[in-house]
Amino acid sequence: MAILPSNRDESWRWADLATLTTAAQTLKGDAVTAADWWLNLPGARLVFVDGVYDAAASDPRDAVLTTLALDTAHPLGVQASGAAGWSIDLSAAQIAEPVQIVHVATGAENHLPAQITLDEDAVAQVVETYVGTGWTNRLTQIDLERGARLMRAIRLVQSGGFVSIRDEAVVGEAASLVTQFLGAGAMGSRIDAALTLDGDSAFVDYGGALLTLAEQRQECAVAVRHQALNGSSRQTWRAVAADRSQASLAARVEVARGAQKTDGEQSLRGLLLNRTATVNLKPELEIFADDVKCAHGATVGELDRRALFYLQSRGVPEPRAKALLTRAFVADALERIGTDIVREAFMADADTWLDAAL
Amino acid sequence: MLQIQNLHAEIDGKEILKGLSLTVNAGEVHAIMGPNGAGKSTLGYVLGGRPGYEVTEGSVTFAGADLLDLDPDARAAAGLFLGFQYPVEIPGVSNVQFLREALNSQRRARDEAPLSGAEFLKLARAQADGLGMNLDMLKRPVNVGFSGGEKKRNEMVQMGILNPSLAILDETDSGLDIDALRIVGDGINRIMRAPDKAVILITHYQRLLDYVQPDFVHVLADGRIVRSGGPELAHELEREGYGAVAA
Repeated sequence: MAILPSNRDESWRWADLATLTTAAQTLKGDAVTAADWWLNLPGARLVFVDGVYDAAASDPRDAVLTTLALDTAHPLGVQASGAAGWSIDLSAAQIAEPVQIVHVATGAENHLPAQITLDEDAVAQVVETYVGTGWTNRLTQIDLERGARLMRAIRLVQSGGFVSIRDEAVVGEAASLVTQFLGAGAMGSRIDAALTLDGDSAFVDYGGALLTLAEQRQECAVAVRHQALNGSSRQTWRAVAADRSQASLAARVEVARGAQKTDGEQSLRGLLLNRTATVNLKPELEIFADDVKCAHGATVGELDRRALFYLQSRGVPEPRAKALLTRAFVADALERIGTDIVREAFMADADTWLDAAL
Repeated sequence: MLQIQNLHAEIDGKEILKGLSLTVNAGEVHAIMGPNGAGKSTLGYVLGGRPGYEVTEGSVTFAGADLLDLDPDARAAAGLFLGFQYPVEIPGVSNVQFLREALNSQRRARDEAPLSGAEFLKLARAQADGLGMNLDMLKRPVNVGFSGGEKKRNEMVQMGILNPSLAILDETDSGLDIDALRIVGDGINRIMRAPDKAVILITHYQRLLDYVQPDFVHVLADGRIVRSGGPELAHELEREGYGAVAA
C-alpha cells in the first residue's frame, strides 16, 4: 500500500485510517450480486468487482472503459490514477440516459479512476452504489462546460471495510453540478471534494446524509471554491450517530476576490441518538469579496423532546416517534435528489438503517 | 370516567399540584379556571404523561385503569386527548402522515383494523372542513408556518380524527379571534358532546365557555381545586376576580 496521510495532519484528524488499513489487509472473497442493486431506470449499467470491469454483467452504452492518468495531489486519489477506469464524454447538447454503476468489493484494496466531461449544455445523470467489503478508493474528475448539467446520487452501503471518495470538479458558466451522498453501510468512509465554480452563474449542490452506528466513523471534507461572479453553492449535510460511532462534517466555502454576488450556503447538522456518540462539525468560510451572501449553520443535538412527546400523546409509540423525527432529519439532505426513483430508493435504504439503529 | 384523587406532582423538585381531586363522569363538560402558576397546564401534562413531571402522591383512574401506569401513547389509545396550549412544530413530518400514523397506532393498540390511505384522507378532509381548514394545510409539515389560531384549530382537527373519549384542552381559546373562537367552540361541541364522552376545558377566560357551556366550573389555585360550582361560577370569577373567589 502507498503512503497514507497521518491523523496528525489537521485535514485528516478525524479520518478512520486504522479501519482503512485493516480493510486493505483483508483477503478477497466472494462477490455479492450486483444485479440486486439496479434501480428501474433506462440507460447504461456498469459493474466493477474489486475495481475490475465486469463486461459480462454490464451494458456500457455511452460510457467508455479506458485507462485514465489523472493529475491530482490528493494522497488517496493519486493511488487511483493510471488504472483502468470509466469515463463519460458528452458532446454539446447531448443528453445521456442515466448511468448506474455498482462497485462490488470483496476484500483487499481496489482503486478506480473516473472522468466526466460534459460539453456545452450536455446533461448526464449518474447513480453509484458501493457494496461488499475491503478498502474501495475512488478518484473522479469532472469538467462541466457552459450550461452543462450533471446529477449524481451515490450510496455507500458496504457491509464492512472502508470507502474513500475523492471528487475534483470544475463547473463552468451557468453549468450545474448536483451530488448527493448517503452513507448507510457499516463501513468507514471519507468523502473528499474540491469543487471550483469558475464560470459566471455556476451552481453546485453537494451534500448528503451520513448515518453511523456501533464503532463506525464516517466523514466528509468538502471545499467549494467560488472564483467567478454570481455563483451559487449549497452544502447540506446531515449526520446521525448512534452507539459510540462518530460522524464528522467539514465543509468549506472559499470566495475569491473577484467573485462578487456569490451565494454560498452551508448547513451542517448532527443528531446524536445516544450521548456516547460523537458528531464533529467544521464549517469554514474564507471570503475575499465584499458583495456576497454566505448563510451558514452548524448544530448538533438530540431529538426534540417536545416533538417526541407530542407524537406520543397522539398515540405514536416512542420507537416509531423517534424514527419519524429521525427520518425527517435525514430527508432534509436526501430530498435534494431530483429523480423520484433514486430518491425513494435512497430513503428506503435510510429507513432500513433507522430500523436497525432505533 | 376520570377519577383524580389527592394528586401531588412536582417538576424540578418543585411541587405544583398539592392534593388535587376531581371526578369527571361521561357526558360532562368541566371547566378548570385559575390564576397563572396555579398548576392548570401541569394538570394537563401530568394526565398526558409528559416526561419531567413526577407524581409523588395520589392516583388517577381513567376508564377503570390506572392512568399513571401507562405510557403516553397507551393513554391516547385508551381514549385520552390532550390539546396543547403551545402545539409543537415538527418540520419534515406532514400532518397527514403524522395523524394517520397516530390513528392507526391507536387502532392497532385496540385490536382494530387500521384505516387505508384513502379511508384516512376522507376522514381527515371531513374533519378539516368542519374546522375551516383545507386539506392542503394538512399536507404541510405539522404546525409549521401556522398562526397561533391555526395551530389551535389544527389541534381540534386532530381531536376530530382521533375521536377520544376524554379531551383535556389546555387554553385552547388563547390566540383565537372571535370567528376562530366560534369555529373551535362549535368543533368541541360537535366532536365531544356525547353521553359517552367528556371534556375538561382549562381556561383563563370566560369567553370560550359562552360557546361550550360547562356543567361544572372549578377554581384551581395553588395546586388544588379550591372551589367548584355550576356555570354561574365562571361569571362570578369574571366579576370578582380569582383573589376574591379563591380566598
